[in-house]
Amino acid sequence: MAAPLREILVPSVAEGGAIEGVGIGWARRLSLDIVIPAAVLILIAGGCFLGPLILPIPKPVGGNILSANLPPFSPGHILGTNPVGNDILSQILYGGRVSFEVGIGTNLIGLVVGGLLGTVAAYRGGVMDAIIMRILDVLIAFPSLVLALAIAEGLGPGELNVIWALSFFTVPAFARIARAATLRLREQTFMLAAQLAGTRSWRMLFRHIAPNILPQLVTFGLLGVGVAIILEGALSFLGLGVRPPNPSWGNMIALGQQTLTAQPQLVLIPSIFVFVTVLALNLLGDALRIRWAVS
Amino acid sequence: MSAEQPTLATLGGSPSSTSKLDRRGASPEGVPLLEVQDLHVRFHREGGQVLAVNGLSYRISAGTTLAIIGESGSGKTVSARAVMGLLPETATVAGSIRFEGQELVGLPEEELRRRRGSDVAMIFQDPSRSLNPTMRVGVQVAEAIRAHLPLGRREARERAIELLRMVRLPSPERRYLQYPHQLSGGMRQRVMIAIALACYPKLLIADEPTTALDVTTQAQIMELLLELQGQLAMGLILISHDLGLAASYADEVIVMYAGQVVERAPTRELFAHVRMPYTRALLDAVPRLERPAHSLLPIVEGQPPDLSRLPIGCPFAPRCPRADDACRQAPPLEEHEPGHWWACWHPHRDDGGER
Amino acid sequence: MSTPTLAVGRPEAVPSRWRSLATAFMSSPSLQMVGRRLLVAIPVLFGVTLLTFVVMNLLPGDAAQELLGANATPQQVHELEIKLHLDQPPWVRYAEWLRGVVTGNLGTSLASKQEVTTVLGQRLPVTFELVLYGLLISVVFAVPLAVLTAWRPGGIFDRLCTVLSVAGLSVAPYVLALVLIYVFAVKLGVLPAIGYVSPTESIVGNIRSLTLPAVALGLPLLCFYMRLLRADLLEQMQSEDYVVTARAKGLPPWRVLVGHALRNSLFGFLTVVGLNLGTLIGATVLVEQIFSLPGMGQELLEAIDNRDIPVIEGTVLVFALIVVLVNLLTDLLYAVLDPRIRYGRSAA
Repeated sequence: MAAPLREILVPSVAEGGAIEGVGIGWARRLSLDIVIPAAVLILIAGGCFLGPLILPIPKPVGGNILSANLPPFSPGHILGTNPVGNDILSQILYGGRVSFEVGIGTNLIGLVVGGLLGTVAAYRGGVMDAIIMRILDVLIAFPSLVLALAIAEGLGPGELNVIWALSFFTVPAFARIARAATLRLREQTFMLAAQLAGTRSWRMLFRHIAPNILPQLVTFGLLGVGVAIILEGALSFLGLGVRPPNPSWGNMIALGQQTLTAQPQLVLIPSIFVFVTVLALNLLGDALRIRWAVS
Repeated sequence: MSAEQPTLATLGGSPSSTSKLDRRGASPEGVPLLEVQDLHVRFHREGGQVLAVNGLSYRISAGTTLAIIGESGSGKTVSARAVMGLLPETATVAGSIRFEGQELVGLPEEELRRRRGSDVAMIFQDPSRSLNPTMRVGVQVAEAIRAHLPLGRREARERAIELLRMVRLPSPERRYLQYPHQLSGGMRQRVMIAIALACYPKLLIADEPTTALDVTTQAQIMELLLELQGQLAMGLILISHDLGLAASYADEVIVMYAGQVVERAPTRELFAHVRMPYTRALLDAVPRLERPAHSLLPIVEGQPPDLSRLPIGCPFAPRCPRADDACRQAPPLEEHEPGHWWACWHPHRDDGGER
Repeated sequence: MSTPTLAVGRPEAVPSRWRSLATAFMSSPSLQMVGRRLLVAIPVLFGVTLLTFVVMNLLPGDAAQELLGANATPQQVHELEIKLHLDQPPWVRYAEWLRGVVTGNLGTSLASKQEVTTVLGQRLPVTFELVLYGLLISVVFAVPLAVLTAWRPGGIFDRLCTVLSVAGLSVAPYVLALVLIYVFAVKLGVLPAIGYVSPTESIVGNIRSLTLPAVALGLPLLCFYMRLLRADLLEQMQSEDYVVTARAKGLPPWRVLVGHALRNSLFGFLTVVGLNLGTLIGATVLVEQIFSLPGMGQELLEAIDNRDIPVIEGTVLVFALIVVLVNLLTDLLYAVLDPRIRYGRSAA
């Protein structure tokens, strides 16, 4: 019975539009609105993670107080230094690492855990669905920043704790999307066909559900990385999360706030990096969403 | 009961509407209400064009009913939308559509809009989706009135209620305030008809008006349409896949396949002497009581052709039981018998035999 | 056969709108839906209190020790623990706290010795006003902008707005706030950078002091809403059957867009606005800090600095409760406004 089943299932891929993007069609479909943001992201991420290894950049901490407050384009410090004497470019790169790690980390957790939860809830339905949804409702009820603050406060400073704290939102957010997408999938006849054909364990149905909802989750995740980066910045800005002297784009902005009029570049430079990164993520997420749209 | 039903004479209305009726009586002889000539409609999509309508021609006069029959994808709905000017921007229209002598193709949108709803109106297949779910039903009718007639809100409301009464909607004053989901399918379709007739159009296009309804309601709606057509002396174009509908209600029938006309004749003539194998197949596919139980339905094998890649020759040939090499060349649509046109090398003959 | 009448003995040509509304509402599934929503909200509220408690009390860290600092003697720590009931098992503490919450007693601030409810009472109006102002900015401008861009999709105005709105979305609220301060307060000197003027002192001053914060709060959401509404409008215009009917009536295009498509889009839009209110409220914490507004957010941050646990608990709880209530209200509003829900199926 494998052959007739394929007849029915293949339209599902076309309906989902999901896998069509992956594979041979992909090369043809690469266009500017995907390539440019992706390139920018790779550039920034690459710079943050590889830059300090390759280029001769001073360490982000332990700077010399004598070389404090140097303006940009000073010798040895291309972006200048901050009031404590630390090289700004270095702080940007290391801070960027934090941003990317937090952003990707929380969204990965969200995608896996939340996606699983949502899919199971939608697929099983009934009491399990109701319980899971109520729990998620509680989590979503908390204004994000407030909850993040509380958790970060409870856990203490540090990057890892920020990841845990922010995961409290990504998980319910992904779960909601996964659930809605799975519910919509269930309506489609190919699911019924698969069931009638005796597709037994729900593991095999994950082979049908997952490929179809994954694109939606991934594009949501891309936008979520942007949100997480901003939230991490907010936490650091407020004094939680990553604390000085460890650099984070957020706490750099906070420190720079005090000398906003005198040395705007201390606020401006990390702000620009946050902006460009999040912008690229948003553009990429949008472009992919349109590309992979389920009609 | 007929005394209760508002007729044209009893219906009030603004002077402009009565003058329209006068005009109707004085419509110039010899100028058909709608004349379509060699209509082609192309849709531009990624990776090519789809030829939805491939050379359609017909004409219809006031007070008559034309049925356009075809499967989904035959181009019947697209051609109707072309007449209304309701095609999306991806479509290009070639050919001629003349309404009372006025050429519609190439007319600026503002001009088309003036005619939409007031001269030519259309009702659609699924009334549950064709009505705005968040707007009261009566207001939607009143909106159609005020789109073209300079009536105040109250007058428009009163006229809308009269229209609802005219389409035999029970308790029209109450229904006026209701929302579409509070009405049954048949009632919704009546509302759609009221909307279409709000400005007494000269031509009404009904696109599968009864497909979404159950059988008894179908008959009621069709009877209503016919009666209103008579009262308003409208031209009526019936679009359907249902030959039975055409047989019962149309004066002339056009059969379309893959965007082309394959057979055309006055109704009686068509059903007395079916020529096209496709039309024959459509007729044969209708389940009949006389057939022995559990006999196989003679359905037509295969699928309608992909309109972006039309085969050379007769478009029906791949599915036609009578096709042969001659069919590689497209048969022209010709008037082989008086009033009866068809496009086939191997039409059915009166002797009733195969070939 | 006379036309059917609603009221005995008084034939009305057309029944009044209000009467039909009332009758429909009473017998409607709308009330049922309201009831259902309320019922569902209760366990959520419960969960909110539970989560707040868990987060604040069961996370690692010795509260008493931290409060007193490293120099405290074990004796002092122990005394404080008893005083704060920290020696009781968790569920007892939760029950006690919950009892307090229900009776309106949220405890006493460790730092200022004031009742938490008093403190919150002072702070809440400021935050409330800020949220309202920000909400207004985000919604009131989003609708016309969305309509204008959906009017000519792909046109110059549309493309400009799209670029600007994607940029606006990508800006962090705190960055935006600082930029606004720099431009409007420092360089142009038009609006105050920090400080709050209460409405009792001066209404104009009040609005001025809240404008920059409200813009910082509302602008990213404005961009988001505009794009969302635009996308929905376009989808309605392109694929909904009733739009075709509206056009077939001969209605002018703007009427189709505003009178039909927008009408339907606004429902979904309302839901999204409600859902995002949590984000908006959460962002007030940041904005209040930057602009030095004496609202709940700033209170929360101070309490965190002082490790003032009752205040933290109380503030977080109130924040969450507000969001739950607002979501509930949005649902209810939706139920009342959407005629599909308000009037169930009536007999054909």
